[in-house]
Amino acid sequence: MIPEEQQDQAALYALGLLEPDEAAAFESQLSANAELRDMTRELREAAGSVAFTAPLRTPPASLKERIMREIANEAAERKVVPLQRRPLGWVPWAIAAALAIFCGLLAVDRIRLKRQLAALRGVDQLMQTTFFTLAPSAPAPADAKATVAWEPGNQSGVIRISNLPAPQPGKDYQLWAVDTEHKDPISAGIIRVDKNGGAQVRFKPVENAQHVKAFAISLEREGGVQKKEGPILFVGSS
Amino acid sequence: MIQEPSQQIADRAIMARVVQGDQSAFRALYDRLADPLYSLACKMLGDEVEAQDAMQDVFVQMWRRAGSYDPEQSSVFTWAILLTRSRIIDRLRARGRRLRVVAASADQEDIPITAGDASVAESAADISSRNESAMRVRTIMANLPAEQREAIELAFFGDLTHHEVAERLGEPLGTVKARIRRGLLKLRERMET
Repeated sequence: MIPEEQQDQAALYALGLLEPDEAAAFESQLSANAELRDMTRELREAAGSVAFTAPLRTPPASLKERIMREIANEAAERKVVPLQRRPLGWVPWAIAAALAIFCGLLAVDRIRLKRQLAALRGVDQLMQTTFFTLAPSAPAPADAKATVAWEPGNQSGVIRISNLPAPQPGKDYQLWAVDTEHKDPISAGIIRVDKNGGAQVRFKPVENAQHVKAFAISLEREGGVQKKEGPILFVGSS
Repeated sequence: MIQEPSQQIADRAIMARVVQGDQSAFRALYDRLADPLYSLACKMLGDEVEAQDAMQDVFVQMWRRAGSYDPEQSSVFTWAILLTRSRIIDRLRARGRRLRVVAASADQEDIPITAGDASVAESAADISSRNESAMRVRTIMANLPAEQREAIELAFFGDLTHHEVAERLGEPLGTVKARIRRGLLKLRERMET
C-alpha cells in the first residue's frame, strides 16, 4: 500500500506541479518502487485525459501542410548524401592507408597522454572534481543543457550552458550552490549567455561551501539577489 | 483507460515508424492527435492564431523527440498532451503572461468534428471513438465533487505550482493536495470501469 503522502506527490507529479527539486526527489523514489511507478503512470493517464474537457476545436487544413513542410525540410537536412561510385579503384586503398597511418599516430599520442596523466594524477585538482548535470525545467527550454565541474579544494568551478535563450530585459540567470551546511542556497554569481544561448564561466560561491550536494540556476532580478527569489530553471546533483 | 487498447496499440505502431523517420506515419499521427492537442492549445492560450503556432512547435518537437517516447511511462496520447501542455506553459512564461484560468468553459462552444473536414484523415470510427472518450471524461469530471474538479482544472490548465493553486483557492496546501489526489484517483477509477 502506498502511503497517502506519497500518493499526493504522485498526483502532483502527474500534473507537473512539483518544484524541480521536489520532482527530482520523487523520481528517485519512483526508480526504487514498482508499485509507485504503476500508480504514477495511471495518474498520468488520468491527468492527460483532463485535456478532453477543453472545448473541441479542429485546426485549419493549412496547419497540417505547414507542419509537414517543416518536417520534410528537417528530414532532408538529416539525410546523408550517398557516395557516388566512380571508376577510381585506388581511392579506397589510399584512404585505408591514410587511416592506418593516422591510427598509428593516435596510438603514439595516446601513450604519451597516458604518461602525462599518470604524472599529474597525484597533484591535479581535476582528480577531486565533481561533475553535476543540471536538468532543465520550465521556463527553461527542454533542450537546454547545463553542467558544472566543481572543485571543492579550490572552492570554484566551471559551468557550461547551451541552448538557453537570454533572459528578458531586467532579468539575469543566477547560479546557486546547495550546501548541506547552509540553510539557504549560496549565490555563485550571475551567468550571462551569448547570442547562441551558450556560456562557459568560471565561478566562485560567495561563501565557503564544503558540502555541496546540488547546483541550481534561477531567473532573478537584473544584477542578482542575495537570497533566491525567482523560479528555478535548472537543478541537479552529482 | 481513456483510449481503447486497440487505439493505443495503433498509436505505438505509428510512433515506431515515426522514430524511423517515416513522414507518412507522422502524417497519420497528426491526424490522430491534432484535434485534442489544438483544443488544449486554444483553451490555454485563448487565441487560435497563437494556438496554431504552438501546434507547429509541438509537432516539430514530437518529430525530433519521437525517439525519447517511453511506452512504459505513458500512452502516446498522454505523452503528446503533456508535451503540448509543457510547451504552452513555456510560451506563456516566456511572454511574461499568466493564464487566466477559466473554471467553467461555458463561454466557448464546442465545434463538432466531422469526417468531411479537410484536415482530418481519420476513419469515422476513430472520430466517433475519440468523441465518445471526450464525452466520457467530461461526464466523469462533471460528476466529481466541485472542489476536486476545480482544483484539478486549475492545476491542469493553469501555469501554477501546487503552492500557487492553494493560494489561488485560498485553502491550506494539504487540503488542495488531497483534493487533487482524490479527484485524479476517482477519474482513473471511473475511466477504467
